[in-house]
Amino acid sequence: MLRWLKRIALVLGLLLGSITFIVWFLWIPSAQEPTYIFYEAWGEAGSNPGQFRDPTGIAVTADEVFVSDARNSRIQVFDHHGRFKHQITGRGLPAAELGRPMNLDIHRGELYVADYWNDRIQVYALDGTHRRNIGTNGSKPGQFNSPGGVAIDAQGELYVADFYNQRVQHLSAEGQFIEQWGITGAVGFGSGEFNYPTDVAIGLDGHIIVGDGYNDRIQVFDSAGSFVNKWGGPLAMNIFGPFPGWFATVTSVAVGPQGNIFVADFYNNRVQKFSAQGRFLTSFGSSGTGPGQFSYIMAVAVAPDGTVFATDLGNNRVLSFRPAAEHN
Amino acid sequence: MELADDYLRGMTMTAFRLLLLSLLLAATSVSAQDREPTYAIGVDGLACPFCAYGIEKQLHKLDGVDSVETDIRLGLIIVQMRHGRTLERTQVEEAIEKAGFSLRSFETAEKKAAP
Repeated sequence: MLRWLKRIALVLGLLLGSITFIVWFLWIPSAQEPTYIFYEAWGEAGSNPGQFRDPTGIAVTADEVFVSDARNSRIQVFDHHGRFKHQITGRGLPAAELGRPMNLDIHRGELYVADYWNDRIQVYALDGTHRRNIGTNGSKPGQFNSPGGVAIDAQGELYVADFYNQRVQHLSAEGQFIEQWGITGAVGFGSGEFNYPTDVAIGLDGHIIVGDGYNDRIQVFDSAGSFVNKWGGPLAMNIFGPFPGWFATVTSVAVGPQGNIFVADFYNNRVQKFSAQGRFLTSFGSSGTGPGQFSYIMAVAVAPDGTVFATDLGNNRVLSFRPAAEHN
Repeated sequence: MELADDYLRGMTMTAFRLLLLSLLLAATSVSAQDREPTYAIGVDGLACPFCAYGIEKQLHKLDGVDSVETDIRLGLIIVQMRHGRTLERTQVEEAIEKAGFSLRSFETAEKKAAP
């Protein structure tokens, strides 16, 4: 009897060991690049210039950083070292007023703001002049229920992460509905379905990269609308975790100057960097209040020189990182 | 639903939250009789702004709500009403569910203040 028990234990042990090895080999990749080095941080809690109440979105140009300051209902604009330049609120003009600005994008001198509370994409010149709004509240084509992020392609067409409608909408530059991915209002786990999509970015190859927030994965589509790829944990099926290439809620995605994909990994307090094909390259950031640490990372953006900027929700600040070596 | 129980994402600090909630309510109740009705709403799994703002957005749609403040870390929402207006638990439950969560607790500061 004891001999049989020993045999069963041995077989179970071997089985467990094999499974662990397979999981590790298949789904826990090693870093392919050196990590990034913390460079600077700015901001604290408050409502004055340079202070934040929930920094929830970020976009950068060659010389400016735009930060969604959600509870202050404004966008703050800084230089790359955190020196305050001006703010955008739209106050006094209902069509231009910001509610809860979230993820941002900049395209041809215009700032696109996903306004979570006003259910529209608000477009401003980079000096803060209001240009136009796209979308209204609702679940019909071209309408939004809490847009979390927006990206603009080379033709000026919009892709909007329509959070509570569980879809990503593709709209013309004027806001006319073209197509959507996901089933309106229905959470899904299959390819092309979403579980609260949070953000969108456009790859250098024109692919549409979607942060599928609570599915803990990235999904990629080509410009013709076909599903291309997905990744994040085993089989990219809503399995979260702290390992390389796994996520614990994706809140923002960005594309670097070399076409690599940067992901804000909210509960893991880190940025993860992938190739355009989804190969894990490196990660940086940890939990805390010190240099290079986050109390929940919320948004990420990459400057043309490869500097990575990220918003630190709980510490109410912006952090920047630079590559340890010449990879961006 | 999925957002709320997606994981232990909100870290299980329930006991700690409840303690802080009680302290907050006690502190609020001292001056509550001179102020507009205030409610403390507890929601589990509330940690990311997408979730918090979704709940706040729904609560703001309720008639008579003046302001909504959320402490994401404590999973606690404080709702201040306009003068003479009150809030029913069922209204709050519905709003929280629309945002993808379940109501954990609903307390009135005034009730605590009453002798």
